[in-house]
Amino acid sequence: MIKNYLSFAIKNFRKQKLFSLINILGLTIGITCCLMLFLFIQNEFSYDNFHKNGKNIYRVMRVGEMNGEKHEIPYVSAAYAPALLSDFPDVIQKVVRVVRDNDLISYNNTSYNEKNVVLADDNFFSVFSFPLIKGNPTTALKDPNSIVLTETTAKKYFGNDDPMGKILQFNKDQQLKITGISKDVPVNSHLQFDMVVPLEILRPMLPDWFTNFPNNTLFTYVQLKPDANPGQLEKRFPVFMDKYLGKYYAKTGAKMSLIIKPLNKIYFASDNFDNVKHGNRKMVYIFMSIAILILLIACINFINLATARATDRSKEVGLRKVLGAVKKQLLSQFILESVLFATLACILSVLLLQLLMPAYTGLLGYKLPAFWSNPWFYIFILGVIVIVGLLAGSYPAIFLSSFSPIESLKGKLKAGSNGAFFRKTLVVFQFSISVLLIISVVVMMNQMRYVKNFDLGFNKEQSMIVRFDNFDISRKKKQFKNELLTLPSVQNVSLMSGEPGGFHDRYSFEAESNPAEKYLLNTEFSDLDIVKTLGLKIIAGRDFSENFGTDTTQAVLINRTTAATLGYNTPEQAIGKWIRNITGDSLRRTIVGVVEDYHYTSLQTAIGPLVISPGKDNRLALIKLNPSKLKSTISDIKKVYAVVAPDYPFEYSFLDDRFDQLYRTESKQESVLSIFSVIAIFIACLGLFGLSSYTAIKRTKEVGVRKVLGSSVENIVLLLSKDLLKPVLLGACIAAPVGFYFMNKWLQGFAYRIEFRWWMFALAIFIALLIALLTVGVQAIKAAMANPVKSLRTE
Amino acid sequence: MIKITNLEKIYRTEEVETVALNKLSIEVKGGEFVAVMGPSGCGKSTLLNILGLLDDPDAGSFVFNGIEVAKFNERKRADLRKHNIGFVFQSFNLIDELTVFENVELPLIYTGVKSADRKKRVEEVLDKVQIMHRRNHYPQQLSGGQQQRVAVARAVVNSPKLILADEPTGNLDSSNGNEVMQMLTDLNEQGTTIVMVTHSEHDARYSHRIIRMLDGQTVLENIMV
Repeated sequence: MIKNYLSFAIKNFRKQKLFSLINILGLTIGITCCLMLFLFIQNEFSYDNFHKNGKNIYRVMRVGEMNGEKHEIPYVSAAYAPALLSDFPDVIQKVVRVVRDNDLISYNNTSYNEKNVVLADDNFFSVFSFPLIKGNPTTALKDPNSIVLTETTAKKYFGNDDPMGKILQFNKDQQLKITGISKDVPVNSHLQFDMVVPLEILRPMLPDWFTNFPNNTLFTYVQLKPDANPGQLEKRFPVFMDKYLGKYYAKTGAKMSLIIKPLNKIYFASDNFDNVKHGNRKMVYIFMSIAILILLIACINFINLATARATDRSKEVGLRKVLGAVKKQLLSQFILESVLFATLACILSVLLLQLLMPAYTGLLGYKLPAFWSNPWFYIFILGVIVIVGLLAGSYPAIFLSSFSPIESLKGKLKAGSNGAFFRKTLVVFQFSISVLLIISVVVMMNQMRYVKNFDLGFNKEQSMIVRFDNFDISRKKKQFKNELLTLPSVQNVSLMSGEPGGFHDRYSFEAESNPAEKYLLNTEFSDLDIVKTLGLKIIAGRDFSENFGTDTTQAVLINRTTAATLGYNTPEQAIGKWIRNITGDSLRRTIVGVVEDYHYTSLQTAIGPLVISPGKDNRLALIKLNPSKLKSTISDIKKVYAVVAPDYPFEYSFLDDRFDQLYRTESKQESVLSIFSVIAIFIACLGLFGLSSYTAIKRTKEVGVRKVLGSSVENIVLLLSKDLLKPVLLGACIAAPVGFYFMNKWLQGFAYRIEFRWWMFALAIFIALLIALLTVGVQAIKAAMANPVKSLRTE
Repeated sequence: MIKITNLEKIYRTEEVETVALNKLSIEVKGGEFVAVMGPSGCGKSTLLNILGLLDDPDAGSFVFNGIEVAKFNERKRADLRKHNIGFVFQSFNLIDELTVFENVELPLIYTGVKSADRKKRVEEVLDKVQIMHRRNHYPQQLSGGQQQRVAVARAVVNSPKLILADEPTGNLDSSNGNEVMQMLTDLNEQGTTIVMVTHSEHDARYSHRIIRMLDGQTVLENIMV
């Protein structure tokens, strides 16, 4: 029986080449999109699942409260680990500290500035499941002067030689022996590293760092005993914090609590400012909905073409019934046909996927694990075949198998009229999805353009960032600055702790306006040249100046928001008042000036209070360049750098790029949505093309008669197009409010955003209508131009 | 074999009510060959549809092989139909996408006959209607006479007790028509009951009995001698 159905389905396929091709093409594209998005989503949800003890591993986090909002901070100090282990021996089995580092590693005469070094406790490889190819995971990091490399890193230094036992130089002054080679870190790990060095190597240099409590620089992971209750443990943390930090908190007025976060929750906690790999859950959901919508559009094509063609098959259905087929048999025949279609489309999709994988990697920005060896991939394909087969096949199957045999044999079923309403409804649905996607793209493009051209309140052009990522440059930053200033192409240089768009520390302050109150304010530690270099605007008081010898130690600038936060009605009122960074400064500083608010964070957040304080904690140099001769300027700066830090490669970035990076997620959303909305409307139009060519064929005689009676070609084109364009227009109108709702939500993510304009919706609807009109019109014109005598004769 | 009593079938549209069968009573015995004649619209086809269990009457009784089937649901009708009744149509109604062999095989598939068995029986019956050499051709590649022979083969492949023929020679020339009529006669002689709707007095002469209908009723029954 099945063999019979199959051979019949194949014959049918061949007979209806155009419709079959449209169906297969649509389904193939739809399923390919689905597979791509499936691989992405599966990878996102697989983060950190590969650790054997993963269920019992947690990261220790501090939680601070500011303006009623809780902020999780993943950094704690080195002293937490031994304290946790000794205070909770009944619950905590192991503790491992991890700090990400940037080190100069040399072998023979080659040096690399390794940015992906992890310093960790010696049980790193027994807590986490990063398998070692060579070496013993329990002892590899026991000796402070040892190092474990990943496979790829080992290849980089030693080629095909055996690296075990070789000596690498660490930051020029220490020798590390290679004691292990680990497999490369999987893509789906939030911790990424190229080499692991024992944390103990720092002890001789920084003995205090290991014992001081308020010095939060590293991650601490705990592995709980298998039967431990994490909730119970957290309840005991307040006592713990009080024991070790009570006095400190009493002094500073700050207060933090402690929590533990499950390992597999870290990846999606993208609000943790921690420089490890994070995913965006929202983006995953957007991807997921797109995948489903596109597949739906493709399925609708299948349903529509199958039901439209139903009358062609009514004779077959009638005959089969006369010959004894019961409804169930016909149902299974038609569903089998659609399952066959789905299977064929899936096979083509896998091939297409393989072809598109490099482009997809480019779009994502990283390589997904190979899908050939992924069992879930095959299960997913099987699921797609079953679901698409049933989804796309069941309605046509029910529809076709319900024909009465007498009527269908007599040819009484009117061409196309059966289920026409249902078909149009589905077209409405397809185009509302397409228009919805187009609206989203239009709004996103506008918002992103708005963000990129927004006046940030400072000058971001021609500003180079050089980070102080090694000891040499940090130590000689003053010399670096002075030498740069001798270059004719350098206008200004400012040393600062965080560039606009980068990280700004938050400290608690007390202030003259209300000495009893403690204010949490963002800080910028810079030299005296920040206002000039960034082009900030002073709205009250004065800029920092060398002329006042005390500015370095006794002055601050604040922004307009800080003045308001501190309770001053006008910026002028703040001038001359004192303010004190409770942990940073022993003495009070005087507010010498107020700067106009500028966007030192992304436009997703409103401008917060900021204190610019001269300080030594500079982590980068911001170099304002002369616009002309940019190329030679860069090489000049490189020469200066080579003098100051000869062992390190010169690396730089530009401030405007840095700012664009803040919207990377949104930009990616925009490009993904653009691509998929093009695909969605393409598939929808494929279906429309099928329907219109079908209508054209079915109405050949009508067109002939009308032409004989004197109708013009235009009238006929209009007649044939009208029927199909109405649902497109209706769909577009439905999409507009839905698009408004979703994009409004999306825009809420920006503190500074565009207004909705009517033309955004009009543009989206216009694009969809135009494409639909082209699709339908081609068929209509073809039908209208045909010689009427010919079409009448064939009847 | 067939006994219908006071059978009624009325077609209704919004404005018009058409009485297709008006308290019709007919009896056909096993092994009979009956021709039904009458002008267009007299209810012949409706009668044939009801006899073939493709349609149900609005009122009256229909006893088939001793079972009252007038109130059967579609499933039961389909089941009874596929084991007992074969159809021959004026326009042949072969499925264009299937070969001669596959067309004839179809009823056997629906009655669940095993593949090897099917092959044997299809070949037998194709042999009988002398179309074996065309077994792998498609309907479009055959002449009208050949197509109707295939249709007859398909009607009898399940060895039905009753064959319903709706103007079986209507689309054929006289020599092909005679051939088909001869085939039906042969089948009848082997014991199959045949009810045939026809416009042709010539064809009707092959039957044992002619039922003449007008306005949904029988007006005359001729017994052929």
